[in-house]
Amino acid sequence: MTDQAQGWNRRDFLGGAALLALALGVPTASVMLSPASADEAPSDRQMQVLARVADLVIPRTETPGAVDTGVPAFVALALAHGLSASRTALVAPDSALRPFLRADSSLRHLPWLEATLDRNAQGNFLAIAPAEQARILTALDAAAFPPGPPPQTPAPWATIKGLILTGYYTSEPGGAQELRYELVPGRFDPDIALAPGDRAWSSDWTAVEFG
Amino acid sequence: MEFDAIVVGSGITGGWAAKELTEKGLRVLMLERGREIRHQQDYETETKAPWDLPFRGQGDTEMYRREHPVQMLNRHFTEWSENHFVNDRENPYSTAAGSDFNWFRSYQLGGRSLTWGRQCYRWSDYDFGANKRDGIGTDWPIRYADLAPWYDHVERFVGVSGAREGLAQLPDGEFQPAMQLNVVEQALRERIAERWPERCLTIGRTANLTEAKPEEGRAACQNRNICNRGCSFGAYFSTQSSTLPAAQKTGRLTLITDAAVEKIDYDPVSSRVTGVRWIDTRTKTRRSATARLVFLNAGAFNSVHLLLNSANEAMPRGLANSSGVLGTHIMDHANTLSAIAIMPGFENRTSFGNRPTGIVIPRFRNLDRLDGKGFTRGYSFQGGALQSAWTRGKREAGIGADFKARLRAPGMWRMVLVAFAESLPRASNRLTLSRTKVDANGIPQLEIAFSHGDQERAALADAKAEASAMLTAAGGQVIVALDQPGAGGTAIHEMGGARMGWDPRTSVLNRMSQAHDIANLFVTDGAQMSSSACQNPSLTYMALTARACDTAVSMLRDGVI
Repeated sequence: MTDQAQGWNRRDFLGGAALLALALGVPTASVMLSPASADEAPSDRQMQVLARVADLVIPRTETPGAVDTGVPAFVALALAHGLSASRTALVAPDSALRPFLRADSSLRHLPWLEATLDRNAQGNFLAIAPAEQARILTALDAAAFPPGPPPQTPAPWATIKGLILTGYYTSEPGGAQELRYELVPGRFDPDIALAPGDRAWSSDWTAVEFG
Repeated sequence: MEFDAIVVGSGITGGWAAKELTEKGLRVLMLERGREIRHQQDYETETKAPWDLPFRGQGDTEMYRREHPVQMLNRHFTEWSENHFVNDRENPYSTAAGSDFNWFRSYQLGGRSLTWGRQCYRWSDYDFGANKRDGIGTDWPIRYADLAPWYDHVERFVGVSGAREGLAQLPDGEFQPAMQLNVVEQALRERIAERWPERCLTIGRTANLTEAKPEEGRAACQNRNICNRGCSFGAYFSTQSSTLPAAQKTGRLTLITDAAVEKIDYDPVSSRVTGVRWIDTRTKTRRSATARLVFLNAGAFNSVHLLLNSANEAMPRGLANSSGVLGTHIMDHANTLSAIAIMPGFENRTSFGNRPTGIVIPRFRNLDRLDGKGFTRGYSFQGGALQSAWTRGKREAGIGADFKARLRAPGMWRMVLVAFAESLPRASNRLTLSRTKVDANGIPQLEIAFSHGDQERAALADAKAEASAMLTAAGGQVIVALDQPGAGGTAIHEMGGARMGWDPRTSVLNRMSQAHDIANLFVTDGAQMSSSACQNPSLTYMALTARACDTAVSMLRDGVI
């Protein structure tokens, strides 16, 4: 609890911005999506990279991990259907992103992820040792969530990581084993003790919505 | 088909009109443009977990952009509730140049009674006297005393839980036991009262039952807070759970769904409406019925649309529009997120269950003393304290087992305050029929011209400053503070367009919600509002509806109409 007791941190600004978007109905994108097409289907290797990365974010512990719970398939579906603003046209995209843009300036996240990790691994990301994979992903993650005010546009990795978390915590093992799920609480206790180790509720809809 | 009364619309006020009129002995036809949704049988997503849904509750963004580009901007629109909101592509509307208005709609049996926020607040004489006091808009022809017994009447049936606070600006009602403040909200209530004795943080007054109403077949709230999926416990007030069964019990209700009303028939000789015409949207055939009374409860903008579209030779500017003000002075509360604060000091406390209401801090500006800078009306806050959930991981660095372990625990408590500022009635904010665009049935589209004004912006600027001051004084650390209103429609409190008033030359309806021009025509939804107050308006619509029904039936019995 000590890190929490220190009070606010800059990340909460981003939470506020997301909350504002929810409260005010700010459009997450102004472009119309075309239906997901066949040439958007991820390659087998892109899915392998996604699976590896998903398990690095949420590994199997005493509860199932991301791959155990079908997260890669969910993330691929979510990206194909533009969830979490993933089909938003990028304004003034970084030159490194240009090779991965669609005609509408939105990013093809999975080819970008595959190429970026291979480049950072100076070879085949899937072939290097797990510890090295974790080191590379940690660096990418740190760059996506920099100190100071959050980036105006979320980094591509932030979008992918967000969908990995959604995929995991809205799966049955993630929502009901790792966390707790109760569809019918039946009562409201306004003030009870929180003991160390108590798990959060995935069925606290307001908290999930507002972050 | 011939009836005593026709009620157009089955939402919050249509349900009330059907209930009151049938219970008083009238044979009533209720028309609903949308599909039938049966209580307890058709709430298809009610018990689904996120993992039961293909998009885990977030919904198919690609499909939403095609079919629901406006509705998807509403935070209540999710994969669970998407079937309780309109298809925008099939139900187009226009906005005037320079207007930004998001019209959130529910076209189905029960209308928005299935999806509403359930907050039930009485208006006071600060509200009914507002237009007269500052001279903006037309004076309400009623005051609180006219409506108080009708508030009692509807609250008893609805079942409103709330705390009695003795506030002049937010009169107490016939409440069921209040839901409880959580530990952070309780502390905030006490700390605010210490510094500002005139400011009262209290639990939301909500149409969720804390005590069952077995006589209505309704169970107490289970604290799920998934109301807009539909509630088989009948624990919140909706047409399906409450007014429809009551009306049906009389044996005098005829309900027709998939019936989009296009015109009201008018007889210039008798100066009476004689019935309505509608399109059966499944067969595309036109049908009609006659009645001695017509109640419009289609939702504020759609009731106005219907009046405009029912223009005839005798009334070329629209039905009941001899004044020319029909469609004007529409409103929607100016709405923004005033502040979010981290609330330290409660790290070892939590709550259990999902309470289906937040808190309210009633208006404290411009009451007996005009103390608003640049604004003469009021604003109030709604919101609540919550403990952040796994979704906070989306904005935090971290991967791996430690990260997973961190997200396992509830996060910091935060307090959220959202402001609703009174929207002023302005002639330039108005509804007209589009001259160029028609809908699928060939009816001219409704065109909305709307913008917030300087008064609303000044009120939200003050709300931002005061929200931060209260949260900071209570030990919070403010991390977000905003003062710009969302687009029109954001509050989903659109109202006005057929305002009440004393003078038939400057208003559409009289003090009984009855058209000045047409004695057997009543408009008892949000269209009748002459000002917007800063409270959620539905309870007032209900009270006005019950009152108008009582008047209409008396007039019918006395042979006046």
